[in-house]
Amino acid sequence: MATLNSKIPEGPLAEKWTKYKASQKLVNPANKRKLDVIIVGTGLAGASAAASLGALGFNVKVFCIQDSPRRAHSIAAQGGINAAKKYPNDGDSIGRLFYDTIKGGDYRAREANVHRLAEVSNNIIDQCVAQGVPFAREYSGYLANRSFGGAQVSRTFYAKGQTGQQLLLGAYSALSQQVKAGTVKLYTRKEMENLVVIDGKARGIITRDVRTGEIERWFGHCVVLATGGYGNVYYLSTNAMNSNGSAAWQCYKKGAFFANPCYVQIHPTCIPVHGDYQSKLTLMSESLRNDGRIWVPKKKEDAEAIRAGKKTANDIAEEDRDYYLERRYPAFGNLVPRDIASRAAKERCDAGYGVGTGKAVFLDFKEAINRLGKDKVAERYGNLFQMYQKITDDNPYETPMMIYPAVHYTMGGIWVDYELQTTIPGLFAAGEANFSDHGANRLGASALMQGLADGYFVLPYTIQNYLSAEIYNDRIPTTTPEFDSAEKEVKERIQKILDVKGKKTVDTLQKELGHIMWDYVGMGRTKEGLEQAIPMIQALKKEFWSNVRVDEGNECMNPELEKALRLADHIELAELIARDALQREESCGGHFREEHQTEEGEAKRDDQNFMFVGAWQYKGENETPEMHKEDLNYEFIKVQQRNYK
Amino acid sequence: MKLIKLASISKKLCMGALGAFLLVFLPFHMGMNLCILRDDGGEWYRNVCHFMGTNYIVKVFEVILLACVVFHIVMGIILAIENKMSRPVGYAVANKSKTHSGSKYMIWTGGIILVFLIIHFVDFYFAKMGLVEGKYVVKVEKVERAFQEKAMKMQQGQLKEADLKELQAQYMAIQSMSREKVSKNEKYFINLNKEEVQVVCGKDFEDYEPDFYNMAKEKFHSPLYVLIYLLTFIILAVHLFHGVSSVFQTYGLNVQMYQKAINGLAWFYAVVIPMGFAIVPLIVYFTK
Amino acid sequence: MDFTLKIWRQENAQAKGHFETYKLTGISPDCSFLEMLDILNETLINDNIAHPVVFDNDCREGICGMCGLYINGRPHGPDDGVTTCQLHMRRFKDGDTITIEPWRAKAFPIIKDLVVDRSAFDKIIQEGGYISATTGGVPDANAIPIPKQDADEAMDAASCIGCGACVAACKNASAMLFVSAKVSQFALLPQGKPEAKRRVVKMIKKMDELGFGGCTNTYACEAECPKSIKKTNIARMNREFICSKCTSNEQ
Repeated sequence: MATLNSKIPEGPLAEKWTKYKASQKLVNPANKRKLDVIIVGTGLAGASAAASLGALGFNVKVFCIQDSPRRAHSIAAQGGINAAKKYPNDGDSIGRLFYDTIKGGDYRAREANVHRLAEVSNNIIDQCVAQGVPFAREYSGYLANRSFGGAQVSRTFYAKGQTGQQLLLGAYSALSQQVKAGTVKLYTRKEMENLVVIDGKARGIITRDVRTGEIERWFGHCVVLATGGYGNVYYLSTNAMNSNGSAAWQCYKKGAFFANPCYVQIHPTCIPVHGDYQSKLTLMSESLRNDGRIWVPKKKEDAEAIRAGKKTANDIAEEDRDYYLERRYPAFGNLVPRDIASRAAKERCDAGYGVGTGKAVFLDFKEAINRLGKDKVAERYGNLFQMYQKITDDNPYETPMMIYPAVHYTMGGIWVDYELQTTIPGLFAAGEANFSDHGANRLGASALMQGLADGYFVLPYTIQNYLSAEIYNDRIPTTTPEFDSAEKEVKERIQKILDVKGKKTVDTLQKELGHIMWDYVGMGRTKEGLEQAIPMIQALKKEFWSNVRVDEGNECMNPELEKALRLADHIELAELIARDALQREESCGGHFREEHQTEEGEAKRDDQNFMFVGAWQYKGENETPEMHKEDLNYEFIKVQQRNYK
Repeated sequence: MKLIKLASISKKLCMGALGAFLLVFLPFHMGMNLCILRDDGGEWYRNVCHFMGTNYIVKVFEVILLACVVFHIVMGIILAIENKMSRPVGYAVANKSKTHSGSKYMIWTGGIILVFLIIHFVDFYFAKMGLVEGKYVVKVEKVERAFQEKAMKMQQGQLKEADLKELQAQYMAIQSMSREKVSKNEKYFINLNKEEVQVVCGKDFEDYEPDFYNMAKEKFHSPLYVLIYLLTFIILAVHLFHGVSSVFQTYGLNVQMYQKAINGLAWFYAVVIPMGFAIVPLIVYFTK
Repeated sequence: MDFTLKIWRQENAQAKGHFETYKLTGISPDCSFLEMLDILNETLINDNIAHPVVFDNDCREGICGMCGLYINGRPHGPDDGVTTCQLHMRRFKDGDTITIEPWRAKAFPIIKDLVVDRSAFDKIIQEGGYISATTGGVPDANAIPIPKQDADEAMDAASCIGCGACVAACKNASAMLFVSAKVSQFALLPQGKPEAKRRVVKMIKKMDELGFGGCTNTYACEAECPKSIKKTNIARMNREFICSKCTSNEQ
């Protein structure tokens, strides 16, 4: 088995990043102009990387599938962004943020990366404030903080319930400035369809213009993948309709290893599913758990009565309510990490205590409204309450919200080393697209932190280190055989889909995949289930290639074709998720194997055998991929059972 | 050309400034009109008209005002065309969005007001300029002085045959002047047409003024004219209601603190001013 | 619920468009508007009626600003303060006829069916919708206290999602609310001050160039904004503009 070199710098943990920066190679300004950097994706990681690299003087080309960079799904993040600013003087520090993130990730993240993340977290807040991000403030005029799941300090900065939006708009504005300055070229409504590898190095991409179907070739001295996660494999998720893992999958097929695909985060506070026609699930920010209390009825007959519509939440007396998170985890209560809160909700519903359709629990603000007053609650969560009411037609000020877990984030992704470089030299991955910082579970308000850390403060250094050797290489014309064949692959794949002319629409097949994934590779996984799922997914793949129906051709705006191209990749990716879940004979973070739990129903890790990153290598069409292990060595942290009790 | 090249906000600022200036003028005109209602045979009104017609400061303002009207209209048309061009293909279903009252129809209400202005100008302002014939007023005192001067000349034998005849006719006319053609305080001959003026005052007499009071009264006795007048002022109310609050928005002055005051001003202009104008023809018409 | 849908169909930017009428039955009132269109598209494909209707959408939770349809004479439909994706069919009556049109503006050319090109918004932002703070080299986040009220107001302005409903609703297809939201956000923050004078003039110039109309203070934009951005932002921008024109040293 090949060993993966994570290129972690030597030395004490707290000095690694400083040392790296001091010894990395740089590119002089005159040479920067001669180097092309391709960035795919304009979310927090992509936009911030493009802006920063553009400002440094590199020639950046940035691509997004939407009509504007500002629409990337980072915009939907609600709650906040963590930083170890310790403004509230409540005992926070870089070390504690580092520790919380590692522990939150169930000891499956790389120490050095996480520490670097905690170190630069403060710079992110400084940067964003300087860009004009209107973070919430106290009357003093200083920044306000709130607390989030998995932490006992208040370190989360927020901008109403729209923190992701504000941070993304900050990065977008920085990007726009560079576009105007001419250092960044912006290409919208173009979807990456293939990676071009020349002499073992990533040298460009092939895109499809979603307006015209035109297939185009682009050269770059290096390529940055910032295309987000693959949650949409599950069909119903909190991801946007266009979020997809296709670009990452194409890179995987070109030789980039895919790490920990089974680590999928199921977010505990989403609006429950209510019909077959539903296209997506809406997240209710985790910040709601600051003041909301989660409960189900104590008595089964009450739960049944509520489901039947005979009783409402307000009919259940206080002593008949089971605040199960507070009961099971008195230390963290409603603020336990996401994986734990999700599983606890599933456990109660599976046991027959669910409300609504049976797959929902209450999130109650009555106590908060009594304690703080309706105005204060409205000030904190007004827009979330309004959104909830728009969707469900229920007023959360009067009746408790109903919530249920839903697929939200993928901790797994393209394997990267300390420099965020993948196993293909010159191909970098940032943000949710890589696997690096969250281990098996991501803490709330950490995704924004990671995306911006990668884009603003990590890639500008590490890419330079790579590009310093590239100054001797001129731009490669996009007419080389490698570009030819990459483009041909794309055209053939499109033609193959169009030629199927089957009977099932893409959405139908996508839903079928979603059902398999949610039922067998969802919150609770078993060996038998996973072994069943893999052939089912393979059968679905066959069905896709023989029975998918995509009308109209390639030469026009054709969303069905876009979806089909993504689904083809998602089906393959689904199989890898199942394989990875099967291989990981333990429960950790977002990955819960029902065989591996304590008597109390908590996740049971197996540090002896599974303290590694599982990085999968593509071996060819219909071949079993090979898994490589990157062992995780915890030098500075004492590994222990995660305990939020 | 330069006007077109201005930034859209600059054009709007001009528009607002010109409009605002016109707003200042309206209460004066209204106050003047209200004088008609005073039961003094037009004494006050005549004095005001005389002042407005002869004061040099007023004359300067008159020119500025006219220029404002013209620019306000030109600007309005340029903006309307440009704004129209920004949506070459319209919607099939007309827009149902909530909008500020009157704001969508400024160009149309403005157009109607323009038509009225033209009628108004032809009727009154042109008479003043001598471009059309109206009714005139002369001071009895002045007529008498002119007559006496001529009579003196006659005694000195300086008058020709024709002049003598004219003098006789003048004497007869003054003697037989009907009661309606003499003002209440008997200081003026009023409501004279051009011919009468020439007979009463003599051909070379120039010291007469348009008799707006009686011209207005006459107009206001026509039901059609009163109706047009009233309709116009309803339209003006709509135009002003938006215009007044709009100018504060355009100049960025509608800070929360002053919002009430601005709304009050808008209502004042939309209700009090048009009412002040409209009440005159109504009273004149129903008390004739 | 049953609906009759009159939808604008247009093959591409050059083609001449027209309305098509489709009948749709058995829609749940809990269905969102876009989910209703999903069902329509499934029906159109499965029953071989027509190619699916193309419409922009992404996050479906009212924040990305991608969706935007002109429904029965109102951008984002009959509900106040929501985007099209958050509009639910319970807001309509059974048997209603719903007319769906794309945003109409010279600056937003149609790409296909209900999809328009809103890149003009990006171009306006590129003219000055930013604070030039290069990565690194900035002071501590708490170095400059900002009065809470200013920060809150800046936040309200900044919550613009760039969907274009303001342009679609405006009788002049003006982008004033969009531009003013950005100008206001930075005008309220001390960090935005150094570039304020240039920003407002350049952004407005660009807006005019791109073919958006001027503001005639009808406030349809405010009424239709899914994020309830206030017209006071436009007033603030006008103020900034006057101040810039009167005091700027730049040509």
